[in-house]
Amino acid sequence: MIGFLARRLAQAIFVIFVVTLLVAWAVRLSGDPAVMLAQGAGSVTAHDLENIRRGLGLDRPFSAQYLGFVSGMLHGDFGRSFMGGTSVALLIRQALPLTLLLAFVSLALSLLISIPLGIQAAVRRGRLADQLIRMLSLVGLSFPNFWLALMLVLVFSITLGWLPPSGADERAGLIMPAATLAVILTATNVRLVRGAMLDTLSAQYIMVARGKGLGERAVLYRHALRNCAIPLITYIGLQFGGLIGGVVVVERVFNWPGMGSLAFDAVAARDYPVLQAVVTILAAMIVLVNLATDVIYGLVDPRISRE
Amino acid sequence: MTGYLRAALIVAATMVAPTAGQAAGTLTVAQSQDPASWDPVDTFLISWGQLATNVFDGLVQRGPDMQLKPALATSWEMLDGDKRIRFKLRHDVTFQDGEPFNAAAVKFSMQRLLGPKGAKGPQQSNYTAIGSVEVIDDFTVDFMLSRPDPVLLTKLAGYGGVIVPPQYIAKVGDDGFAAHPIGTGPFKVTDYQPKVSATEEAYGGFWGSKAKLDRVVYRFIVEPDTQVAELQAGRVDIATNIPVALVPNIQKSADLRLDSITGPTVTVLRFNTAHGITENPDVRRAMIMAVDRDSIVKIILQGQAKTVTSFQSDLSFGFDPALKPVPFDPAGARALLKQAGVAPGTPVQLDFRGNDTTFREVAQAVASYLTAVGLKASVKPYEMNVFTNDIIPNGKTGEMFQFGWGGWTFDYDNTAYLMYHSGEHWNPYDKDTTLDGMLEQQRTMTDPSARLKKLQAIADYVAGHALELPMYNLNTIYGVNKRVQNFVPPADNRLRLNDVTVD
Repeated sequence: MIGFLARRLAQAIFVIFVVTLLVAWAVRLSGDPAVMLAQGAGSVTAHDLENIRRGLGLDRPFSAQYLGFVSGMLHGDFGRSFMGGTSVALLIRQALPLTLLLAFVSLALSLLISIPLGIQAAVRRGRLADQLIRMLSLVGLSFPNFWLALMLVLVFSITLGWLPPSGADERAGLIMPAATLAVILTATNVRLVRGAMLDTLSAQYIMVARGKGLGERAVLYRHALRNCAIPLITYIGLQFGGLIGGVVVVERVFNWPGMGSLAFDAVAARDYPVLQAVVTILAAMIVLVNLATDVIYGLVDPRISRE
Repeated sequence: MTGYLRAALIVAATMVAPTAGQAAGTLTVAQSQDPASWDPVDTFLISWGQLATNVFDGLVQRGPDMQLKPALATSWEMLDGDKRIRFKLRHDVTFQDGEPFNAAAVKFSMQRLLGPKGAKGPQQSNYTAIGSVEVIDDFTVDFMLSRPDPVLLTKLAGYGGVIVPPQYIAKVGDDGFAAHPIGTGPFKVTDYQPKVSATEEAYGGFWGSKAKLDRVVYRFIVEPDTQVAELQAGRVDIATNIPVALVPNIQKSADLRLDSITGPTVTVLRFNTAHGITENPDVRRAMIMAVDRDSIVKIILQGQAKTVTSFQSDLSFGFDPALKPVPFDPAGARALLKQAGVAPGTPVQLDFRGNDTTFREVAQAVASYLTAVGLKASVKPYEMNVFTNDIIPNGKTGEMFQFGWGGWTFDYDNTAYLMYHSGEHWNPYDKDTTLDGMLEQQRTMTDPSARLKKLQAIADYVAGHALELPMYNLNTIYGVNKRVQNFVPPADNRLRLNDVTVD
């Protein structure tokens, strides 16, 4: 188990390192932060742009800029935003908890809905309830998340006036962004639970459980659900990366000041320090969640960690 | 499953009280961009002008009509044959922390702008005509000019010209000042959360007309759709970024009004005058004749713009009401193209900024007008940063390319010099010594009326050589809740809100 963990950890560190190199390199391929800083100005000259570049340290060679970024990260110094010199650590301290909150609430909401529905669909396979659930999930899958977000705003904020259309300053501001993400997640999760459940329900130990005279509820939730936990955990771990991708769009529409909004602005402004830090942290989170998934997987099924 | 979710949502939603209206005396403004730094010498962002114009004053300022008027200086005169400007300063002005305003503060601000701190930012180069600053007495200060600059007074109303507090900056440092600014203006910054919001409260010691509002809250909201939703929900009083496509949403609502005013940005289609068929002035002239700009403004831009005849708005110094537009004449265009030997079906490409959804429609309309006179026109979107930093300065554009320029000085020099003078960053194609000469000459002229004539002659020359297809001056459109009174949106986007009240 320890050897397995050490191997996985080494892999994770390597992946994060490669990500830092890729992001630092890719972000410099196009565009010039100096131009973005000067946009809207009337009389920016090439000389001004050079001054700004020097002020931002962009006149140094790439290797120096990259090493500065990596060694800063290792020392917990994330540098300063190109836009106004705000500390990147401060920006991330504000944004990261909001994104984690949004991601976990939508994931929890989605599981809360998709597990019972998925089980029901599996139990009533082929019957009306199953078909209805599968159809609804297809509809959910087909929604582009930004469209769904705008529709929710139209109904709940503008027409009914119940919820704030954007922002994280009120607790109610969490409802619509979380619901939007949850709808998309639920659509896939229902199908996943249903599939896993169908496999499990045909297993012999379920017949045994039923044969023992256990109630249907105990059979489903105590025996069957536990045994589909392994594929479910794996899938939810993998889903985390996709969830972060969805968060970017949803945060933007709802003006939720999380990591997605931060990344979006940083891309548009070519704000290298912010973008590098955000991408590295998100990548590290995805890698760590996958690592945790592997570990849990290994714990649940000892055969895997021995391989 | 969506049914369950909706039900859950509705239950959750009913537990939340309806959104409360703002407290009396608080104005909430939705703002597209966070200024990031409040330091005037660090920035060129429009958002700085929208937030910090309330906080800082210059020696002079511009009203919403763009006319210069006294601010921290009560009067000024040119001495020594225009080599020295003497400013008489206003008495009894204090910075928002109580620090007195005087000639020493003016000298400090200018030295900071023109020294090493200013060199790291984009403002300094506007002010290099100021050679040195001399304190005559506490309330008299002289600017010694190292070279003539006819636009200097206007520039002193600009970002870099505002007066900052020497003692406070000595105490908190440049970084502290950039995060917690102090100025002499009617509002002081009391709270600032990067990327989220900023709050300004009325400064009771302000020297001019004191703020009627208690508080202005700026919320940073990037998406225009979200700004409009917040406006419609009554949680925002002024939305500062309304694209043309969302104008009907505002018009539909009984609680809202549109404040649409001349904006600082003029959009033109510049020609690739160095390569291809557009090397020929007659071809360029024909392409100008082919496009019905009035219809584009009326239909696509819903009347929220004015057509232009040169690369400046009618508020710009250098504007010439006598310069007539090239009339829309497709038959004439076809004849001119034929005469120039351009075969029907010759391809032309129009490059534009892909994130500009309004212009995307304009570009398609222009392309169809060009197709109607026999050219094979296509449009090509670019990501903005790539477009402005690579495609244009390196001369990689198609036959024509979108260019929007906002001369914050409202002086044609600003645009004309950077667009047409040889070797300028954003001028990849034109090299014309006659034009260079005219552009250089007006920079040394101090007599305003002679200089105006010269600027008009430059615009005439550019039109005569068909260097660009002049399109329009897009309005700046604000969505405003009707409870807001006395809000006069300024053409330069610099919001000064001391006279504004809310019902």
